[in-house]
Amino acid sequence: MAKLFVERDRYDKPPANALVEATHALVRNLVRRRLEESGGDWNAFVFGASNTAITQADFEMIEKTILDSGHRFGWTAMISRRERPEIYVADEGEAGSFSINHPEAVIAAPDKDGREQRGVGDNVTRTPTNTIGVARYVRTTEQVIAFMRDGVPDGTIAIIDDSGGTLTAPIIDRFAGVICAGGTVRSHLGILAREYGIPCLMNSKISGILDGDRIEIETTALAKTAEAYQRGAEMTACVWRLAK
Amino acid sequence: MTGARPTYVELLETNRLIQACADETLWLCLTRTVQGSKLFPVSPYMMLSYLNAFYRYPELLRKVEARMTAEEIGDRARNMGAKLQASSIAWGLPNFYLLGREWLISMGMIRPQDALDDVKTVMDFWKRFMLSWHRNDGHLDNSSFAHRAQILPDRRLEVFEADLHACAPGDPLHDASHAFLATVSQYGFLVSCESRISLTNHGPYRLRDNSEMIVRDFMDLSETSLPWLDDVAKDVPFNNLTVPMAVKDCHFYLVDDWGSFESKPEFTAEKLCGVGLYASDALSDGFIPVGMGSKQELTDTFNRYNEIFKEATNRLWLKMAGWTRDEFIDAGALVYFNICKEIAHVAGVFEVDDWLMIDPRADRFRPILNDEFAAGVLGELVGSVSLPSQQASPYTMAMHSNAPKKLYTPLPYSVLAGDDYAPTVGPIQKGRSSFKKNERYRTTQGVLTLDEYNKRARAFTPTVCEDRYRFLCETWVKYNHESPLADELYRAEQRGSRTIDGKGAR
Repeated sequence: MAKLFVERDRYDKPPANALVEATHALVRNLVRRRLEESGGDWNAFVFGASNTAITQADFEMIEKTILDSGHRFGWTAMISRRERPEIYVADEGEAGSFSINHPEAVIAAPDKDGREQRGVGDNVTRTPTNTIGVARYVRTTEQVIAFMRDGVPDGTIAIIDDSGGTLTAPIIDRFAGVICAGGTVRSHLGILAREYGIPCLMNSKISGILDGDRIEIETTALAKTAEAYQRGAEMTACVWRLAK
Repeated sequence: MTGARPTYVELLETNRLIQACADETLWLCLTRTVQGSKLFPVSPYMMLSYLNAFYRYPELLRKVEARMTAEEIGDRARNMGAKLQASSIAWGLPNFYLLGREWLISMGMIRPQDALDDVKTVMDFWKRFMLSWHRNDGHLDNSSFAHRAQILPDRRLEVFEADLHACAPGDPLHDASHAFLATVSQYGFLVSCESRISLTNHGPYRLRDNSEMIVRDFMDLSETSLPWLDDVAKDVPFNNLTVPMAVKDCHFYLVDDWGSFESKPEFTAEKLCGVGLYASDALSDGFIPVGMGSKQELTDTFNRYNEIFKEATNRLWLKMAGWTRDEFIDAGALVYFNICKEIAHVAGVFEVDDWLMIDPRADRFRPILNDEFAAGVLGELVGSVSLPSQQASPYTMAMHSNAPKKLYTPLPYSVLAGDDYAPTVGPIQKGRSSFKKNERYRTTQGVLTLDEYNKRARAFTPTVCEDRYRFLCETWVKYNHESPLADELYRAEQRGSRTIDGKGAR
């Protein structure tokens, strides 16, 4: 069997990710097979015969091989799971019953004012006072459309598990605050919160907050800097659930 | 093999450029953040765009250069706020191409020496454009200038500074400009499918009162060459808007090759003390003032544009919320791939089949681009640098990481000793897209058909790029500012200025 150029690598080390390793191995097998079928002349094959010999149907077979092994893909974009739920792992639940439960969330008993710490995050911009409002998860396009139609209730602190700047584009300017479960202060959502002047914690590790809970976020904390990220320095702001 | 073998010096130079791209990309990816999105399958579209760049850029660059050289386009780029800067040409053009190449090497689809002529073409185009665009600060890119971008000449900065409208927290212009900047930034992220490539910054530039000026560009905003903006952006009056912004009590210590800035202390709205607004494109004679007649007019303009962009955001978002996964991926892959398409507009050779289609050689990979694999391979390619082709001798200590890795595989010198190689991927192939572009291209000369846009672009040369002025550089101005020719040059730049129209060079 022909050996591909890339398989004579002195410093060869497989990819770190098992799915990447498996997929690449299947692609290499495909290339080797098609090269042999074409007569084995690499220079004629690489930008000639391979253009038609390696097809979309071949890559569909690679996907099928992985799925046939029982693997289901993790998803990041809602549309991916919605269109092909059979190839992606299940969703985690809907708003109302849903709460983000980060395993590293810092939790503490209620203080004398009834504030119960439910986590921490990285502060985007320092404000003169902490931000208090009502937690509302924003996780789907349907929720955004409902907020566009019915309005975002005053005092909403949006809890978003997406550090991007597009899911909430039509309604972001109506949030009293944002808690984002991912990203850094330099993520798109952090950049936009800074532009709009919306109090915001990024990279938040929170637990047990439900839709409708009254919460307080410590936006008086120092804003986390790029240097702090590079140094790996801890600079966090608290998230509290308030007594009902 | 079709062309002549490269020379040793050509390979040395190409590999130096590849390594410069690798170093900056690793730094950007270590210090910035990998972006996720629940709306867009970002990693899948990025990986597809890199492949599209690999299979299409070389041929498209040759087509552009048959009409206009990279260095001439670089000259034009200094005189407009279009997608001809960071991150578009400065980073996207070479790196999207190189990322596609590296991924294909790791999968065994190509060898390091394959497409050698193409690699040379892309890197050489990039080098000549960048040296020209950075002509005034004398660097190849922002990275080699310790992350700074002093692109503009004295004559343009003088106009920007003189015409700035002062503002302070609490006054209507400050509120209006702050609101506009937030809204247009949000719109930019949406237009560019959850990427920051519609927004860029250059500078800083020192102002006379020791404050600093950052020039912010917002690009590809209207119905021009992104088909998903057809109809939804019909009320957006300009495709590109530039906001020179004077800032006090803060130093911009870093402007990177993605066009992002960092400042000390952190820039916040209350530090904004002066602002302006301009439009430009491949058909404008430099920067056109927009609403700059008075402070009130600029306030009203920002307020009006704020509403226009909010409405366009809502319409675009609702359109996108109904897209299929293939539509999301096509849009994202195209907006990334065509990050450098403005070079074709400037040269007057833009074609939908060139810049708004996915090549079948790239598209065939689509079935493996599920969210998990794409995020995994992207993370390995630019984050952990852990794909097999990226592993180097254990003695290697890479810049920024000290790891025995190379983000990009250099071209092997062994081709000079007779090793074989396939020189090029060949012509682009008939592509496909989920989107059909309408015949409306909004320019500063009105809404045109594509044919008309190309025709006018081919016939147009901005005044300061005419042969008479093109090489009147900052060194020449330093010693010839009293000459009539310098006056002519400065007056050309000052046309339309509210405060110094006709002042000249003295």
